Amino acid sequence: MDENSNGSHIPKTKKPKITLITPSQIQAEFAHHDASVARINNGSFGSCPASILAAQRRSQLAFLRHPDHFYFNQLSPAILRSRTLIQRLVNAHHLDEISIVDNATTAASIVLQHAAWSFREGRFRQGDAVLMLHYAYGAVKKSMEAYVARAGGYVVEVPLPFPVNSNEEIISEFRKALERGKSNGKRVRLAVIDHVTSMPCVVIPVKELIQICREEGVDQVFVDAAHSIGCTDVDMQEIGADFYTSNLHKWFFCPPSIAFLYARRNPKGSAFDLHHPVVSHEYGNGLAVESAWIGTRDYSAQLVVPEAVEFVNRFEGGIEGIKKRNHEGVVEMGEMLAKAWGTHLGCPPHMCCSMVMVGMPASLGIESDSDALKLRTHLRDAFGVEVPIYYRPPQEGEVGVVTGYARISYQVYNKVDDYYKFRDAVNQLVQNGFTCGELSD
Amino acid sequence: MENEIDTDAHRNGAVESPDSNHHTAKKPKLATLPISEPSILDEFSHHQRGVARINNGSFGSCPRSVLAAQTAWQLRFLQQPDDFFFNVLRPAILRSRTAIKDIINADHVDRVSLVDNATTAAAIVLQQISRRSAQGHFQPNDTVIMFHCAYQAVKKSIEAYVTPIGGSVVEVQLPFPVRSNEEIVSEFKKGLEKGKLNGGKVRLAIIDHITSMPSVVLPVRELIKICREQGVEQVFVDGAHAIGSVRVDVKEIGADFYVSNLYKWFFSPPSVAFLYCKNNSNDVHHPIVSQEYGKGLPFESAWVGMRDYSPQLVVPSILEFVNRFEGGIDGIMKRNHDGVVKMGSMLKESWGTVLGSPPEMCASMIMVGLPSRLCVKSDDDALRLRSYLRVYHAIEVLVYYQALRNDDRDPRDKDGFITGYVRISHQIYNTVDDYHRLKTAINQLLDDGKVCSGLLKE
Repeated sequence: MDENSNGSHIPKTKKPKITLITPSQIQAEFAHHDASVARINNGSFGSCPASILAAQRRSQLAFLRHPDHFYFNQLSPAILRSRTLIQRLVNAHHLDEISIVDNATTAASIVLQHAAWSFREGRFRQGDAVLMLHYAYGAVKKSMEAYVARAGGYVVEVPLPFPVNSNEEIISEFRKALERGKSNGKRVRLAVIDHVTSMPCVVIPVKELIQICREEGVDQVFVDAAHSIGCTDVDMQEIGADFYTSNLHKWFFCPPSIAFLYARRNPKGSAFDLHHPVVSHEYGNGLAVESAWIGTRDYSAQLVVPEAVEFVNRFEGGIEGIKKRNHEGVVEMGEMLAKAWGTHLGCPPHMCCSMVMVGMPASLGIESDSDALKLRTHLRDAFGVEVPIYYRPPQEGEVGVVTGYARISYQVYNKVDDYYKFRDAVNQLVQNGFTCGELSD
Repeated sequence: MENEIDTDAHRNGAVESPDSNHHTAKKPKLATLPISEPSILDEFSHHQRGVARINNGSFGSCPRSVLAAQTAWQLRFLQQPDDFFFNVLRPAILRSRTAIKDIINADHVDRVSLVDNATTAAAIVLQQISRRSAQGHFQPNDTVIMFHCAYQAVKKSIEAYVTPIGGSVVEVQLPFPVRSNEEIVSEFKKGLEKGKLNGGKVRLAIIDHITSMPSVVLPVRELIKICREQGVEQVFVDGAHAIGSVRVDVKEIGADFYVSNLYKWFFSPPSVAFLYCKNNSNDVHHPIVSQEYGKGLPFESAWVGMRDYSPQLVVPSILEFVNRFEGGIDGIMKRNHDGVVKMGSMLKESWGTVLGSPPEMCASMIMVGLPSRLCVKSDDDALRLRSYLRVYHAIEVLVYYQALRNDDRDPRDKDGFITGYVRISHQIYNTVDDYHRLKTAINQLLDDGKVCSGLLKE
């Protein structure tokens, strides 16, 4: 174990501990969750155990007690500790490749602002393409509009099938989109690829897509992996992206909010000229240093990565064990629900991580995004079930298909009862002849 | 300034805050006793014992009752985040924005956005300049004007957003020590002339309401009037220190953009600031783009991705707090001002030096000259002295180095030229002892014949 200057150790990952966390300890760690709610939407807002919240509070108090001392003596080393741990977790080769930011939304603004400058300054030509998936997160789409389209980039969307049956379906659409982007002698300057799409939720074969990008002469690849750390594998060397971001507050037990942005040193060994859009006196000192000070704020969520690593190491197999059990759990529960409702999963098990899309009975009459949201609200208010619902419009010629999918999640605090509660709620709705049309706006 | 808020009209049927005593501000009833001294001490009992905390300007301070309100909001989120996001967050932000709107006399809550801090607001304003220039708005010789002592983050923001598009910057020297508003106005007018050389237009004037270092209250209304007369296109007032320190009436001040941090002098936790925009422009954006892009800055700022928004939600609790004081925030401001002037004068007398500005040009901070014998000869010396005071005397105070200008402005004491100043602050938790400790520590250094360069760096 390494001792750092104030005595707290940085635990090694993967070696099993002698005393593993017990089920009742897990309960206690999440006792602040509303017990009346079947919480199967870990993907939206994540979750944070009590021991890490306590560590965060200590950090907040340290600042309030003596802010000047905190700023001069404690803040920077603490951020450095967090970055160092993240570097190890994601197998980045250089510490300066890791910056800590608030969330993937911020990371997207950083990368896309950089692309906008490239267009403005002529490094990218007007009309050159930037690719993104049709299921890209809403904030990323808006960031593309605000930064890329506005600076003269041509935004190409990759349509994706859903339900999806294999990686090949995704790869095929991606190749077609690349061709579209390269038409008329243009270049594809940047591809923005989700590692795990949000809605509908599917694990994208990013490694293969990035290889194709390299073959096809795409300049840069940015992976929006908001869900990934604690959910899928996040090996920067394996994946091979230029930019990669993931939120630690979703699946890595950190409090709101903290994300990392990985920016690979380019082949010449220098850093991309990324900047945080909120400019402080640290401007020009590299993104990691810029992001570590964007004016006076509460940085405490960025400082508890050591405690998060300690927490996951109380589980059998550490974070790998947690990922595996979450995946097995969500597949098992998803299949249970699909069977109970006579529907199906939105993708095969190998294309999901700790979330899976489960078809909702067609009789519920989910016919629009608005219906999906209203049903979600109804499930929360009337049944105490928290789960996001996705509306999947019928395609040309499709009749009587499933049009609504629930994105269920599985995290260490979940119990089988959570999913039974959801199963029973939907069964009751079906039994009562309920349709979304009944719900008021 | 109005503190009263029409609470009921702005409820919108929103969910009650977790604080059971929650109601937004009313002036205290005659029967209500103002908060007692022991209660004030208790509200700040989390401050490090033994530290003479006279640098409220840098990081502010937050009383326990407001921290408790913040914790309640945080817990609410953690308990059921989806419910919080869909049902609680937006109405609560609207309540805070509405409370601010009333305090600053803005016409409409649409003009008021909540952001993290003035640094963020500067990025918003300057990015907007950058966007306008990309549309061919900037001509060669166009300029941005600011004071030479503008906050470093603002200067860097100009470097990031204005310089690359070819805008040049005119810096206005702040006379210091300053004797009158006229001196500042005169320098500013000279700066404007420079900004308009060769047919250039001054696209943006950045004016501090209260400068940071050295700290002086600027005559913003007057300066903005001059800006309008001289055809300056936009005026951005960096009022980082202002709210809770001086009266802020944005209509009267007349700036296009006005920002102030609530966590410095208005008792909020870190961190929240308001940014007031005079015009309802559809091209002023938060640089962090979310799904809310294009809906107007207040909405964009209210959701910049998943984060802890609790500091933005406690404004009603802050108003409850300040209204426990005699005269509410006005009373607090007056007592802080009187306190800092009194303590500043006490120090000046003891050290035989000068104040950096006349009392009417300061709010709750004042610059006090350090004895010349201390030999503050560089920024490094100033930092050494600051560290020394923290480490050896548990005194937290900013130290400022003012180079000699070789004119009649250079102040003297009996031993030489005064080149160093402390920026002392007065907030409700301060006691007279805090300042006597500073007085004694400096006098001790003099007695020991020490100079700054001989002090060990932290």
